[in-house]
Amino acid sequence: MNHYTYDEIQTGHTESFCVTITGEMMDAYRRITGDINPLHGDAAFAHRKGYPDRICFGMLTASFLSTMAGVYLPGEHSLIQRVETAFSTPVLVGDTLCITAKVQKKMDPFRTIVLNVSFTNQDALEVCRAKMWVGVLDKQKEDSLNGHIE
Amino acid sequence: MNRNEIISKVTEIFHEVFDDESIVLQSETTAADIEDWDSLTHITLISEIEDAFDMKFSMKDVLSMKNVGEMVDLLESLQ
Repeated sequence: MNHYTYDEIQTGHTESFCVTITGEMMDAYRRITGDINPLHGDAAFAHRKGYPDRICFGMLTASFLSTMAGVYLPGEHSLIQRVETAFSTPVLVGDTLCITAKVQKKMDPFRTIVLNVSFTNQDALEVCRAKMWVGVLDKQKEDSLNGHIE
Repeated sequence: MNRNEIISKVTEIFHEVFDDESIVLQSETTAADIEDWDSLTHITLISEIEDAFDMKFSMKDVLSMKNVGEMVDLLESLQ
């Protein structure tokens, strides 16, 4: 996990990671959300709808925005404030997605960074893009509080 | 860009951010007049205005703006 503070992050800062969508992820997502739509769970149904296989839940794909903010940029001090997402191409089980976030700008009065995020698959095709406003919590405040308690 | 054009552009941004085409801005309009205008939406609003006008608000600007009229005054002064 990264531990960037607000001051350490500059406009243009980029982070990325890759993940492969597995059947286990699909099953876990279905259990958690109760979304039993057959497009995501029944390959024959997906074929009838014109897709080569069952389609990954869009919100499962988007859930990696949480990973981006909470683990990579800024990491530990992250607090997601707003997300705008668009899905441009279906994601299939087995696809490997690379998620790249770039700091579009910093908003000093709010200690907020604005990230442009792009998801590309193994064929370098963009499958999802997002804009995310992420607060960077004040590390000094936490340190000061810990000092006070001790 | 004159004051009316600034108000028109700011109004468009309000419509988009609050997803409400019925919003009519007055100089006296504040967060109390728009139901969804909370602290998180305020960040989005400021962010979209910065992008649209290619500028950045300072901490002083953000703290000093008391209503939409003062926001427009500030944007006008930066022209």
